[in-house]
Amino acid sequence: MHVLVVDDDPFSREMTVAVLEDLGYNCQMAENGVEAMEILAGEGSCDLVISDMNMPLINGIDLFRELRSQGCALPFILLTGDDPEGLRTEEPKLDACLFKDFSLEEILPQVINEVLSRY
Amino acid sequence: MNEQRHSLSSKIARLRDQFIEQMPGRMEEALHHLAMLRVDPNQRATAANLHRFLHSIKGTGNSFGFEELGSIAASGEHLVARLLEMPLNVSAPFWDELAEVLARIVLNTETLRQQGASSSQEHDVPRFEMAPIDDSEGDGGRRIYICDDDPLQVEQLATQLQCFGYHPVTFTDPAELRTAMMSKRPSLVIMDIFFPNNVSGTDVLAAIEREKDQPVPAIFISARDDFEARLNAVKAGGEAYFHKPVNALDMVTTIDELTVQKKPEPYRVLIVDDEPVIAAYHSLILQEAHMVTFQVHKPERVLEVLHLFRPDLVLMDMYMPGCNGRDLAKLVRQVPDYFGLPIVFLSSETDKRKQFSAMRVGAEGFLTKPIHPEDLVAAVAIRAERMRALRMLMARDSLTGLFNHSTTTQMLENAIANAGRQNESLCFAMIDVDRFKAVNDTHGHPVGDQVLLALARVLQQRLRNSDIVGRYGGEEFAVILQGIKLGAAAQIIDQLREDFAKIRFNAGEVEFSCSFSGGVAAFPQCKDMKFLREAADSALYKAKEEGRNRVVANNE
Repeated sequence: MHVLVVDDDPFSREMTVAVLEDLGYNCQMAENGVEAMEILAGEGSCDLVISDMNMPLINGIDLFRELRSQGCALPFILLTGDDPEGLRTEEPKLDACLFKDFSLEEILPQVINEVLSRY
Repeated sequence: MNEQRHSLSSKIARLRDQFIEQMPGRMEEALHHLAMLRVDPNQRATAANLHRFLHSIKGTGNSFGFEELGSIAASGEHLVARLLEMPLNVSAPFWDELAEVLARIVLNTETLRQQGASSSQEHDVPRFEMAPIDDSEGDGGRRIYICDDDPLQVEQLATQLQCFGYHPVTFTDPAELRTAMMSKRPSLVIMDIFFPNNVSGTDVLAAIEREKDQPVPAIFISARDDFEARLNAVKAGGEAYFHKPVNALDMVTTIDELTVQKKPEPYRVLIVDDEPVIAAYHSLILQEAHMVTFQVHKPERVLEVLHLFRPDLVLMDMYMPGCNGRDLAKLVRQVPDYFGLPIVFLSSETDKRKQFSAMRVGAEGFLTKPIHPEDLVAAVAIRAERMRALRMLMARDSLTGLFNHSTTTQMLENAIANAGRQNESLCFAMIDVDRFKAVNDTHGHPVGDQVLLALARVLQQRLRNSDIVGRYGGEEFAVILQGIKLGAAAQIIDQLREDFAKIRFNAGEVEFSCSFSGGVAAFPQCKDMKFLREAADSALYKAKEEGRNRVVANNE
């Protein structure tokens, strides 16, 4: 199982990766949306994208829309430091949208299972 | 699995540490952005940077469980969002607010860093617990022995002192005093000079002093007011001499001076020098002299740091690239808040004329490098002390020494903001002396002033250190009680009311007493300063309506 983690903040990114690696996933990291698209267009395999919302260049929702418009149907989980409800309304097609806090460690595994079971 | 869990939590712990470690560097950048935006609020890229920074601190802070940091950053993010929306609509308070947010982030990460350091040391450093200081009788160092052969006088004085929060113990026989002194040391002794059978109070006390290693401050009281009596008192170690009948208020003022030893706050010195090594060297010298220092190597950061650090004095290098000390001093002086801030130049310049031109822009002094450490400390300490005294004068009421109206308001605002953040309660009490105009009309203003002074002392003496007491104007006083609920606060103010009513005032031949009415209201029941003040005010009005000399709590 391969996960791509997209986040411009190195600490936040490492934190997410730490949680995922602990669950036994293989992780790749991208600092921004452009880098994420390059990785996804490349050779490696990827089963899930977890992206931060607020990033320079392309934000998380724009990244999601761009991927979908290019025909990429990978499950996509959005993380945000703001209220996730507004973002869910803005982009209902997101597989999940989570608030970043210290409970990420517990909630993220559940949400991943839930999202993957739908695919 | 257990092993894995452990490795995850240690990974997170490591990330947290790294996050905190790199915060000072990132904050420096953020402060720089703030300074740039102040000059030109239209720099969208800079504003966007600052916004992203605060957003990321919020998100990462929350992810790591630093909730307070997260919420401080969120408030900053909100502010910068406003700036991005309408860069031309921001005003001076906006910048202050934003700077305050950044300051709080700095303080909060510093706290986190210290907590992190202590928690990682927890297991390998041997620890011990210290026994609490013996205060079993709860007198908190306010125990006073009074010895006078006239039982009526001694009791009268004791009652008055009690009203001011002291714990007097009375003796009519010097031998009893001696026994008591041997078993428990008071903070102060008040001693009559003439006792029956030609026993002299000064001799008795001098003898006791010889037996004890630690001298106790003494005040002598006597019906005699001649040179010989006074000289004997001084020889016996008397710190003050009162002629009977004793004015209790004067006595209390003297006792305060002799017994209350407040540890002075260390001086805060900002060091501006583009040469980090030199800044560090001067900083070290001043720290050795127990001052707190902060170093700035880039002149453009001075205004931000001034706001955060609030120094008592600035020590500034005269020649720095891009900005000389003279211009920088002038720039600082143009900010109204720093008009009176002492700035001392340090330079290798020996040309008196150039030194003089630097002084003209408002430098307090000119020190020549290299400077002898002792001279540096002395030069800084003298000026910092004067700055402190000046600030004190500006913040306080000249009659009572309490905080004045504007300082009290400012402190109430801060206390409410603080309580809101900490999720704590806070009470505000308005106190008004009953029928004060009649006191002034009957006995004259000097006597009225005594009443105000007495009330100020009662409030100051009997409240906790965390409580803030201010004179709101005329005969009106305000008290801010932090971390306390309405009922308890009303009880405390009511106790003060009883104490104050017991004080006897002398006006010539006439003796009288006074009372006050009080109104108390609580935050967060009253949601902001306006409501809190109005609620306390209307409770005070009610107390007056219901017949005065009472305290009313506003429950609405």
